[in-house]
Amino acid sequence: MKRLAATGRGVLPFLALGVVWDLLTRMQVVPALFLPPPIDVLRTAWELGRDGSLWIDIGASLGRVLIGLVVSVPLAVALGVAVGLNRWLAPIVEPVVGFFNALSGIAWLPLAITWFGLGWTSVTFIMFNTIFFLVFFNTLVGVRTVPKIFENAVLTLGGGRRHVILQVLLPGALPSIVTGIRMSIGFGWRALIAAEMIATTTGLGFLIYNASNFHQTDAIVVGILAIGTLWLATDRLVLQPLERRTIERWGLVSTAP
Amino acid sequence: MARWQLATTWVVFLGGALAAWSLAAATLPVPAYVLPPPLAVLTSGTELITKGILPMYVGESLRRIVLAAGLAMLVGVPAGLLLGLSRRIADVMYPLLNFFQSVSGIAWLPLMLVWFGFGERTILAAVNYTVLFPVIFNAMLGVRSVPRIYVNALRTLGGSRWRIVRDVLLPGALPNIATGMRLGLAYGWRALIAAEMLVGANGLGFMIFNAQNFHLTARIMLGMTIIGLLWLLLDYFVLRPLEEATIARWGLVQR
Repeated sequence: MKRLAATGRGVLPFLALGVVWDLLTRMQVVPALFLPPPIDVLRTAWELGRDGSLWIDIGASLGRVLIGLVVSVPLAVALGVAVGLNRWLAPIVEPVVGFFNALSGIAWLPLAITWFGLGWTSVTFIMFNTIFFLVFFNTLVGVRTVPKIFENAVLTLGGGRRHVILQVLLPGALPSIVTGIRMSIGFGWRALIAAEMIATTTGLGFLIYNASNFHQTDAIVVGILAIGTLWLATDRLVLQPLERRTIERWGLVSTAP
Repeated sequence: MARWQLATTWVVFLGGALAAWSLAAATLPVPAYVLPPPLAVLTSGTELITKGILPMYVGESLRRIVLAAGLAMLVGVPAGLLLGLSRRIADVMYPLLNFFQSVSGIAWLPLMLVWFGFGERTILAAVNYTVLFPVIFNAMLGVRSVPRIYVNALRTLGGSRWRIVRDVLLPGALPNIATGMRLGLAYGWRALIAAEMLVGANGLGFMIFNAQNFHLTARIMLGMTIIGLLWLLLDYFVLRPLEEATIARWGLVQR
């Protein structure tokens, strides 16, 4: 009951916003070309949904994020652990990866187009670079901040290198890795929308940019709402619970700042 | 590891990487525009500097991001604090702000194109939007995260409402505000590059996107290096120290 009331309060501001929006457009304060009335947006959403194009665009965008994750995350975690174990390589690689982190996202687009042309490959390349380096960096930092004492404890008890990696370093680094994945999806999703505007002919980014060329503001608003809702749903239903659970289960409170 | 050892490893690593890159550029059977040698990147850098283009583009991009940071600080922080003051308003505003924070400015760009036309105003609107919302949202969260007990303590001691805001809520929210600024500017810098690519006539994003049209790959790589380095410098010397200082000074660690 309390939860229901909280949800109700959450919906309220959206309703209020909808009413204000409706009044503004109905009273012609804002021309329909600039901001279509909510009812037009709903109708456009219905039409785009019925002819299937909205679902294709949503599927394309989500698919690209998924491909990026599937390709980058395992590689980034494996490399992050491997480099984190090496006390010569780790201090060198960390700032290098830090640089590529700073570069993450849309700045890769011109180079991607030069190398791979317009299309799927370019977008996947951008997603790979954005997700890979963030997860790699967080894995590396995570592995390096696991207190030495846990490692020594396992070694003293007769554990081998394999035990140290599987039972100390990997679980110890897990909260940091999951945080890295969550951040990388945040940055990746934004980069994807921008890349889709330029480099592809499907996806939500393309939908809104193409609609803008024809001044179809109703379709733009449908796209914006879809982008926001999808991100909120992913973050709420997948990423936040995942992060909370790993931190509760494996978080090393003593090392947290 | 000793300092000199680290320095030596660095030099070897960097030298090796540059040598491998040069070798690959010289031997791989691809056109020169696909993989220009490091020297070409350097040459394009000196060329653009002597022409005065590069300093101007860097200046334009920095001007836009600094403007957005200033607006976020002047408008976003007070707005977030005000919203956070009332628990009821904050509860109501939370989902709305979270939604606007999640939709990146670049997703609004097509709509802003219709509103403001093809040019500077659209870039500024997209970047300011991207920086502003995480700042408002986090400032609000910051006020809300201050434990009631501190507020009550001051109230018991006879503190006025103004004293509570000044001495408890504002300092308590500062770590969150710093985090919000860092996150907002990280998103904003990328949104700026994207917006300059799509509608810019100058700036670093325009530079690398335009270079791609003419297959000036060395110039793309130069631009990417500058974009990455500028952000690293900003993050390393301004944003992160700020965040760490506020957390060390005012952070409320509760267990």
